[in-house]
Amino acid sequence: MANDPFKALAHPIRRGIVERLAGGPATIGIATAGFGVSKPTISKHVKALEQAGLVVRRIDGRTHRLSLDLDALGEAVEWIDRQRAIWGRMFDVVDDYLDEQEDAR
Amino acid sequence: MTDATPSDPDALRLERTFNAPPQAVFDAWTSAEVLRRWWPVGSDWETPIAEVDVRVGGALRLVMRSPKGEEFGGSGEYVEISRPRRLVFTWTWDGQEGDEGTQLVEVELKEREDGTTTVVLTNRGLRDEESKRSHREGWQASFDNLDRVLAA
Repeated sequence: MANDPFKALAHPIRRGIVERLAGGPATIGIATAGFGVSKPTISKHVKALEQAGLVVRRIDGRTHRLSLDLDALGEAVEWIDRQRAIWGRMFDVVDDYLDEQEDAR
Repeated sequence: MTDATPSDPDALRLERTFNAPPQAVFDAWTSAEVLRRWWPVGSDWETPIAEVDVRVGGALRLVMRSPKGEEFGGSGEYVEISRPRRLVFTWTWDGQEGDEGTQLVEVELKEREDGTTTVVLTNRGLRDEESKRSHREGWQASFDNLDRVLAA
């Protein structure tokens, strides 16, 4: 699934790009500088972020600007919040159950 | 309960200490009764199915029925059963097979000196083979960062 935001965030370089863009849109050069990998590699990572809908590229002449799509990021974070609520509930149930077992003894 | 620290590599990590020895806590985690009560449905809901088959490869199955007769359920499979230290199972909500997909839930139990038991639950989404590999690479490090990023 190429458009999966979770998979898109699977790589440290891609997470690094996303974190930089959190400060606001930036040129592709600034957003991807200093990762110590080749341009084709950077290009591959940016494409993966674009395909997942996390990052939007705007081309202005020779300048490529990247920005975050906060809605797509929000979905990924919401998923985590939902899981936290679901499994947190299991902890509560286990706690109650153990109390009852204790009382029964 | 404490949530993940920012440096935690997992998507979701929950921890709590229970006032019971590990065996009792482990048995609670594998109890059909706990499964039945898990989802906070109203008292007018029914739970036609809450079953656990506690052996490796055995199934967990939960079905809840609303007063209107709508059914919601999920199922999973035990992957590892090491009583009382470690329990691993998969979980998938009905209808989410292609969406959130199968989750892997790991429950680690540690006995403390005062006789209580600390449980750490780790929850990973397992969307496909490639994502399983990425999980091992620790991709979930992003999510605490993302929370921070989105709050900025």
